[in-house]
Order: sequence, then C-alpha cells, then structure tokens
Amino acid sequence: MNRRSIGLPRARLAVVLAVVTGSGCAPKAGAVAPSNDLLIVGYDREPDTLNRFSTHILEDIQSCVVEGLTTTDERMEIVPLLATTVPTLENGGVRLRSEGGMDVTWTLRPGVRWHDGVPFTSADVKFTVDAINSPTYHPESSDGFDRITGVDTPDPLTAIVHYREVYAPYALQFIRGALPKHVLEGRDIDRAQDYNRNPLGTGPYRVAEWKSGEHILLERVPHYWRGDAFPKIRRLLFKFIPNTNTRVNQIKSGEVHVVPLVPWDKNRELVGRPGLVVQQTAGNAYEHVTLNERQVPAFADGRVRRALLMAVDRELLTKTILDGLAAVAIGPIQPVSWAYTDRVTRYRFDPARAKALLDDAGWKPGASGIREREGRPLAFTLITQAGYAIRENVAQALQQQWRDVGVDVRVELQDGTAISAIWFEGRFDAMLHWWQMPADPELTTFFAADRTPPAGRNINYYRNDELTRLVYAADRTVDRTERTQLLRQAQAIIADDVPEIPLYTVTRLDVVPTTLEGFKGNPTNTGIFWNVHEWEVR
Amino acid sequence: MLRFLLRRALQSLPLLLLVSLLVFLLIHAAPGGPLAVYLSNPSVRPQDIERLRHALGLDRPLWQQYFAWLAAFARGDWGYSFTDGRAVSERIFDRLPASLELVGASFVVSLALTLCAGIGAAVRRMGWFDRVTTALAFAGISLPVFWLGLLLQMIFAVALGWLPSAGRATVGAAGPGDRLEHLVMPVIVLSFVQAASWSRFLRASMIDALGRPFVLAAEARGLSRARVICRHALANALAPLVTVVLLDAALVVSGAVVTESVFAWPGIGSLFTEALARRDYSVLMALLMLTSTAVVVLNVVADTAYAILDPRVRL
Repeated sequence: MNRRSIGLPRARLAVVLAVVTGSGCAPKAGAVAPSNDLLIVGYDREPDTLNRFSTHILEDIQSCVVEGLTTTDERMEIVPLLATTVPTLENGGVRLRSEGGMDVTWTLRPGVRWHDGVPFTSADVKFTVDAINSPTYHPESSDGFDRITGVDTPDPLTAIVHYREVYAPYALQFIRGALPKHVLEGRDIDRAQDYNRNPLGTGPYRVAEWKSGEHILLERVPHYWRGDAFPKIRRLLFKFIPNTNTRVNQIKSGEVHVVPLVPWDKNRELVGRPGLVVQQTAGNAYEHVTLNERQVPAFADGRVRRALLMAVDRELLTKTILDGLAAVAIGPIQPVSWAYTDRVTRYRFDPARAKALLDDAGWKPGASGIREREGRPLAFTLITQAGYAIRENVAQALQQQWRDVGVDVRVELQDGTAISAIWFEGRFDAMLHWWQMPADPELTTFFAADRTPPAGRNINYYRNDELTRLVYAADRTVDRTERTQLLRQAQAIIADDVPEIPLYTVTRLDVVPTTLEGFKGNPTNTGIFWNVHEWEVR
Repeated sequence: MLRFLLRRALQSLPLLLLVSLLVFLLIHAAPGGPLAVYLSNPSVRPQDIERLRHALGLDRPLWQQYFAWLAAFARGDWGYSFTDGRAVSERIFDRLPASLELVGASFVVSLALTLCAGIGAAVRRMGWFDRVTTALAFAGISLPVFWLGLLLQMIFAVALGWLPSAGRATVGAAGPGDRLEHLVMPVIVLSFVQAASWSRFLRASMIDALGRPFVLAAEARGLSRARVICRHALANALAPLVTVVLLDAALVVSGAVVTESVFAWPGIGSLFTEALARRDYSVLMALLMLTSTAVVVLNVVADTAYAILDPRVRL
C-alpha cells in the first residue's frame, strides 16, 4: 500500500471528525477573543424599551445603565446600590405609624451624578413616584407605588416615602432605579423615545448604539461613581439571536462570549468546551403542576392531590430528563430565600400509597385501567409551553407515571403567549410551568383564596382560609423574624395540603468565558449583570 | 393595457379590504394578546393590565378597533407598535433594507442556478446531470429550511470557521467583505430552496419547448445548438418561470421568515416572528397588508409580463 492511499482516508477522517466534533482549529470568521475592550453577549431577544419601568422583559441590558437604590446579590440578599443602606426597623429607616401606615427613609449615596453630569437627588426619587402614579404614564407595574401617599425630600440626599399601609417588599420598591426629573418632567414618558431608547442613568455603561434587530452596544462611562477603575470592560455588545441553536453555535464558534439562560438540554453540548464555563446558579423559580380545582372538581379532594404527588418519581425526573441539573422542590419558596424551611411534610414517591388514596377517595379502577367514580373517569388535560424540549419530556413522563396509578392525562402544547392568556382566564385543567418568584417571598398573589384571576395568580383556585390569613399577615409584617414565622407556617400548610405538585427548583445556566473574572450569577430576575462593573477578562 | 391595469387595480381594492378583515379577525382569534406577555411577571397586577388595556384601546369592541385601524391605515397612518411604542412605519423601514439585501441576493443566485439546472437538465434529459439536479431539487424542496441552516452553521462556522454563523455584519468591522461573508449562508439556504422549485418549472417548460416543431425547424435551418436553445427554446419556455418568480418576489416585503430567524438576520421576516410572538397587532396588520398588497400587485405584474413575453396572450 502506498503512502497516498493511507494518507487520504486519514485526512478525510480528520475533516469529518472536525465537522462532527466541532473542533476545527482554524481562525473563525467573525470570532474575536473576549477582552477588556469588548465582551459580546448572545441575547435571546431585542428589548421593547430600555426604560426599566416600562419594559416587560428581563432588565439585563437596562441594569448596566440605570441603577436602583437597591439590588439583589448572588445570594438573593437585598443590598444597597444608590442608597447608602437598606432601610430597616432596626436601623431606623422604617417607622411604623400607629394608624397602620409606614414611612421609609432612603438616604442616597452622595456624589452620584446622572451621565449628563447633573447630580442624582431625592427630587428624582419623588419625581419617579409621582410619574408612576400619574394617569398619563403607563409603566409595566405600579405595585407598591399605589400605596405611597407622598414623598418628602427634606434635603437632596434624603427621600422619605410615606405608605398608607405596611408594605413588606418596600426594600425592592426602587430596584428599577429612578427617572431623571430634569429630562422627563412635563413630558409624555410613554412616547419619550429619546429616553426610552437611550436612557439616562447613573450606571457603569451608557448606550452607544441600538441597531434595530441586530444589537445594542454599551460603552463605559468616563467617571463612574465607584471610581475610574470601574467598570473594567470597555464595551459590552448585546447581539440579538432569537434562535437557541444559533445562539449555541455562535458561542461555540467564538462569535459571542456570554450566553445567559442557556436551556438545560444544551448543557452537555457546552460543558467542557475549551474556553467556556457553564455557570450554574440555584434559582428562585420552581417548576410545578398547577391543579385547577375550578375546572376539575376531583382536584378539590386533598387525597387526590396527594395521590398525584406520590405517583410522581421526582428524583427520577431530576436524574434523567433534567440530567442532575435541578433539585426536587418541596414548595413555592426555594432554598435560596431567607424564608425557606424544609421542616414540612414531604411526600415520597409511593405509587402503592397513591393508589390506596385514590381508592379511598372513591376512584376505583375501571375496565380500561382508568379509575372511575360514578361513571366518570379520572382524566384531565395537562397543558404546557411548546418548544421547551425538557418541559415536553417531563409532561410525557408525568403522563406515564399518572397512567400507572390509573389516571388518564392528555398532554397539550401551546405557544408562550397563548398559554399566558389561557391560565389568566382559568381555561385549563392542569398546567406544567414555573413561577419565577420575586426576591421578596410574597405568597399572597399565588395562594390567597381571594386572589384567583383576574385578582391574582391563584390559578389552582385553591381555598384555605388559614393559609389566606397567614400570607396576608406576612405581607403586612416588616419585622423579618416575625415574617419568617408566618411564612414558615404557610409553607407547612402548602406542603401538607398539596394545592399544586412541586417538581424541581429551576437552576440557571449561564455560559461565560473561562477568562472572565468577577462573574457571580444571580438567582432572580435582577440578572447576571448586577455586578458587571467588577467583571474583568484576564 | 392601461384599461387592463385600471380594471385589475379596481378589482384589487375589495379583495384587499376583505383580506384586511380576515387577517384582523385571524390575529385577534389567536389566544393571548399584546398584554399576555405581562402576565408572567408576578408584580404586574390585574389593575396594571386593565390600565394598559385601556391605554392601548384594547378594551373597545372588536369592530370599533377594526374600523379605527382601517380609517387610520387608509390615511397612511400605520399606528404605533404595541411592543416598543415606536411608529410601525419606522420599525418596518428599519428592517426593509436587510430583507431587500438578502432576498435580492438570493434571487440573483437562484436565477443563475435555475437557468443552469433547468436548461441543462432539459437538454440532456435523463442524463447524469438531469438525475443529479433532480435529486438536488428533491432535497431542496423537502429539507426543512431551519435544519439546513443549522447544519451549514455547524459545518462552516463552528467546525471549519470559514464563515460567520449569523447576523448581518461584525460590529466594528462592517466592510463590504464582512457583509458578503455574512450573506453567504442565508443566501445558500434561500437559493437552494428557491432554485429547487424554479428549476423544475424551467425544466418542464424547456422540455416542452424543445419538442415543438419550431425548434426542429430552427435546427433544420442549420442554426447552432446553443442558438436554438437560448434564442428559440428558452424564450418560449421563460413565461411560466417569470410568473413563478414574480409571485415569489413578495418575499422582498414579507421577508424570509424562517431563514432570517435562524441566521438572526435583521429583516422583515424576523420582525414578523417577533411581532407574532408578542401579538403586536399593529405591526402584524401592517406587515400582512404589505405582503397581501405585494402579492396582488405582483399578480398583475405577472399577468402583464406574460402578455409581453407571449404575443398570443392578449390583455
């Protein structure tokens, strides 16, 4: 055999291998190494607006430009940002009034200026409250603001916010920052496109360019209030790449350097790739099955709900479909929260016990193996969002496991927008989805008996008077110890009575370069860029 | 000719009106609305949704919304996007150049491929070239566009690193060479699919033309094979192809939805996907009306072109 006949197949093999494994070592077109000059983020969508109060998507880009009085850190603790401290009862920042209201005193960090050089003052805080409460501006949410009766500004660095009633999540009231009074006063903020597309902030970056459909380029501001050493990265480029596979291909080819919120089914493709690290952060969201008691009367029976929970092998789901990336959840408050407790009833996988409970509730196996009571089968439709491979697989696994105990489940997939409308109108039997819980552990909107849609998100249509009392009491308690007690009692009731089937805690996966230092992650909607000023490429 | 054009224009108006009504009803029949995206945020409360619904005029009866839209549209006012509050026309004109660039480039390449494949296959019918192009056309018509796009990305961007995987330009290096590199893969995907079906039309009409007596007559007169094929057969075979190409030309304003989405191409197609996901009614209506108008207009153009190409057809 001559040389050529050996060499050629080998060369062919090398090309094929390079294609299959994606390990070609040629310089990539369009690829640049991450550096302190430019870090490129592959982002899944273009923002609607950069006005933090108006947007209805995550505020990743905005948070690099506009800073809040507080933010949440990697452990979900609320930390001061433009305020010097987080006001509490202990430090005198919060004062409860005898008639039931409360006053919160915010002390602003001295020396902070808007990017145009105008000082940031308490007048901006007051302007923000007034703007959000005015009938002419339409922010995404006015939660909490509508309980504010007024803001006093005794000096430029002090804003005293008066609430008509106790509002427990007050520390997050200004997490979206403030609107600059000197730019927006007297204007129609909904249509102030100069601000909404290029907001004036106090943060480490400002918007250099927004190219519709393509990217937003942020560049370092010259004199950031933390000092000229920050931020360390000169330019941040957010490229809009809606297709998940394309986003993954771009990070593999080096055309982007950071991809936040990578779907779990892409983890194996990315773990161990040279130059990249998949950062895992235990999240504050939990995947669960909502059981709509209004639509399916059988769900109103606690025995049926417990049986459905015990019929599901959640350990198996997390080990197999979720590839060990998530931990089994035991309730709506996740381990990352200060209010979390695991001292609650825990139902293990026990199909025999599940069958016994269903028998006990009068649901006996029929001829087809499906349980029946008074001639009606125990059957329901489980809806979930289309396009999420993992969720579709989990739905099928649930269908099988419930089928094993004699419950007939039909899986129905809906697109994201449709599913929101469906649950808001309560037109479903059961739904597989997650709630991204706020950093403040408020449960009222999800579990109070009077908070069924449209008044809230109690889409289990679950009614428990003791739980309702506890969650409302927790909402109106500012003292952390007292509030923890109330929330722990609420968690105990939820875990024991199973108004919904908790499945697993959602883990955040963010892909970043191995050379990036200072990345801390974040379990909440605050997003990973909360400490972007500390990021540095080595 | 003028009378024909006038008549067709007048016929088109009620058609477009009917289309607008159907499209309006269809997009409103899809579950969820522009405010559905707000619902997943727990801090958005029912009163916030109600406030926004009222501000956007979504609490009015559907027929009122339709006539308000129609009256404004007739005046040339396309309204404001429900998503970002910008004028719809501004959002569309922002994206139009990218679609024109992509669709224009792919049309040029597709036509070149079509002419080569269509003529070559017809001339040597059942020969190896015909068999290969038939197989390729079969693949082009059958392969899902998104799959082909992702496959090309994995080979040429991820593994070989020859081409950028997506986007329209590298930020900061936007020279003509860079723009061209970004165009290559989406153009390959679009042209492959277009040429696949166009070349079948051309092949069929060429085979038909080559069998006609005038071709035999031309050959009998001693004309060269090339001249017979290009001047006599092709001229007669072009008419059906022109119709198909003109009807496909609506892509210029509708954008290539799937290709643009896979390659993060900032054109009308990706704007449509975004608007659909967020139920941005005003942007959706404008885009669908623009596409419908283009289809109607191009139909008229195709009929006119047919008449010009084929003297037997009278308008």
